[in-house]
Amino acid sequence: MTTGRRATAGPLSDLRAVLAIAGKDLRSEARSRAATVATVFFSSVTLVVLAFALGRDSDLMTRAAPGVLWVALAFSGVISAAQAYQSDLADGAFEQLLTLPLPRAALFLGKLLANWFTMTVLGAVLLPVASVLFDAPIAGGVPQLLATVTLGTLGFAIVATFYAALTANLVARESLLPVLMFPVVVPVLLASVRATEAIVSGADPALAGDWIELLAGFDLVYLVVTSAIFHIVVEE
Amino acid sequence: MKHATPRRPGWLNLLGVVAVSALAIGAYLGLVASPADVNQGELIRVMYAHVSVAWVSFLAVGVAAFAGIAYLWRGAPRFDVISVAASEAALLYGTLTILGGMTYSKPTLNTFWTWDAKLTLTALMVALLAGVFIVRGLIDEPQRRGRVSAVILIVVLASLPLNYLAAEWFRTLHPAKSIDLTGGGVTMDAVMLRVLLFNVVAAALVFLWLLLQRVRIGMREAELDDRSAARGRSEAIHV
Amino acid sequence: MSGSEAAAVELDDVGRRWGRERVLREISLRVAPGRLVALNGSNGSGKTTLLRLLATRLRPSSGRGRIFGHDLVREAAAVRRRIGYLSVQSGSYGTLSARENLKLVATLVGADPAAVDSALRRVGLEPHADRRVRVFSSGMKRRLGLARLLLTDAELWLLDEPYASLDEDGRVLVDGLLDEAKRDGRTVLVVSHEPERLVGRVDAAIRLEQGRLHAVPLQARPRPEVPS
Repeated sequence: MTTGRRATAGPLSDLRAVLAIAGKDLRSEARSRAATVATVFFSSVTLVVLAFALGRDSDLMTRAAPGVLWVALAFSGVISAAQAYQSDLADGAFEQLLTLPLPRAALFLGKLLANWFTMTVLGAVLLPVASVLFDAPIAGGVPQLLATVTLGTLGFAIVATFYAALTANLVARESLLPVLMFPVVVPVLLASVRATEAIVSGADPALAGDWIELLAGFDLVYLVVTSAIFHIVVEE
Repeated sequence: MKHATPRRPGWLNLLGVVAVSALAIGAYLGLVASPADVNQGELIRVMYAHVSVAWVSFLAVGVAAFAGIAYLWRGAPRFDVISVAASEAALLYGTLTILGGMTYSKPTLNTFWTWDAKLTLTALMVALLAGVFIVRGLIDEPQRRGRVSAVILIVVLASLPLNYLAAEWFRTLHPAKSIDLTGGGVTMDAVMLRVLLFNVVAAALVFLWLLLQRVRIGMREAELDDRSAARGRSEAIHV
Repeated sequence: MSGSEAAAVELDDVGRRWGRERVLREISLRVAPGRLVALNGSNGSGKTTLLRLLATRLRPSSGRGRIFGHDLVREAAAVRRRIGYLSVQSGSYGTLSARENLKLVATLVGADPAAVDSALRRVGLEPHADRRVRVFSSGMKRRLGLARLLLTDAELWLLDEPYASLDEDGRVLVDGLLDEAKRDGRTVLVVSHEPERLVGRVDAAIRLEQGRLHAVPLQARPRPEVPS
């Protein structure tokens, strides 16, 4: 009788599992580029359209820039989150993964990591674009800005990765995801916009710090709650 | 074999009478017997209905979420039924809250909607609950349906305080270091406070009555659903 | 392996519904460890549902199940450590190569990285190891699924149509894997639409009909000795 069973399970192997899942997602995306093209295109279009819509009042444009940036990020985030599970579902690959001795939370964190990474990169790219299009020069605090983008996209990715797993198996999936997600993601969105505003205008660095702290708090709450109950979402 | 639906128990009818009476009395107190406000005149009377249903709507969401957690833990169908019933009530009360808020803000602020934190929170809550029902409608299998909606309700519950904080501080300058839960900032006359509390209790009683009735119906549905469950144990096949 | 070990599979009055429809009804089954069992039944009789339930993908709507003594619902993680599931679908990521797919599984189950190469060799996919699975034929995808199964090194194999899409070489491969599994003392539950192929190999057969389980008598033949 073969024993040959797993190496000792422990936090290190869990970490390796998380990184393997994240790596798989990123590699898969790098090769198919389906979601990347869609999100880059869509977010750019969003920015341009809103620039036109608000364009008559240059003062308004400058003040609206942070909000517009996060709207563009949020919309593209939904698209990429829905896409994130496509390759998993295509040939029953996800089903296979779920029969392995892989902790559900590790699966969740792996996909979250990949999602978060792509969104952060998108955010970093959109920042200068929005700054130029909306005539909102960045007065300073680039590190704070990057921290905001990172934490804001994290909160978004947490909620998106969680709900996308839920809708992946349902019939009306594409239209359902934003409906389910947005009320939950509002605190993250609001905090990110306020923080970005505070940093870009350069007026009050302490204020920005407060909002960033709050954002981190929101992220923590959502992360803990979602990873604890993710295993129920992927049941059949 | 047909089972006749059992008659509604006496105590439930009694509760209904008490609840509706309380509602009527509360309405009378609010509309007639209580004093008009110094600043807002007669319009303040809307507040009694509005605030009381608001508080009960959040109570209902809490009940729904905790019933969902109980379902996840124990698996007994009655918890899922309670969760659905409470969610429906929360949706109803939440909608009434929004209508009350709109009724109040049009004459006073000349707008149907303000992005006031509490109203925003209620609107988001209603949207979240609608999401729960949409998802429930898409899942056929009763166990999965119950578990998934319980999970969504847990996230909903977690998001409510976060939404409140974010909405509250979004429009002010600084996120406050302390949380002011009394909200509204209206120092209330003692009489008005008592009238308000009476109305809250009345609204809660009506909620309880509606909840219990709905749970009865839901349990009956679940029973009928399960009727074809076989009773006997089968012989195990040994291989 | 001692004879007092828990049964490999124990189902007590297990039922499963989809909405109002009962796909599985009062399934009570006991499979001793090391047995090779064929699961037959017409299309739509619930065979895949039963396998998925044993693979912990589905919860029983009623009744209880245990695999090697671990409850299917309450100790699902422990169950997964001991099962290997071959589904009807390919189960692989099309954008990754065969090797990358297996490397991922190896990392997740804690298998030795060298096992990936030997698995690829065993199923005859070595020449195609670095091609994207998306361009694989369905037969090649099947072989990849078998390679993945080997990596899990599981004590209980749940095979859903292992012969499907395979050419004669592939079928011989599956025959060989089944024989090896028997020798290694693995328990195997095989769903197949070609019971003839399995006749000489299985210890027993069971049949699902409209969600109910029935034993199927095998033709009399000497049972191979199972080394303990």
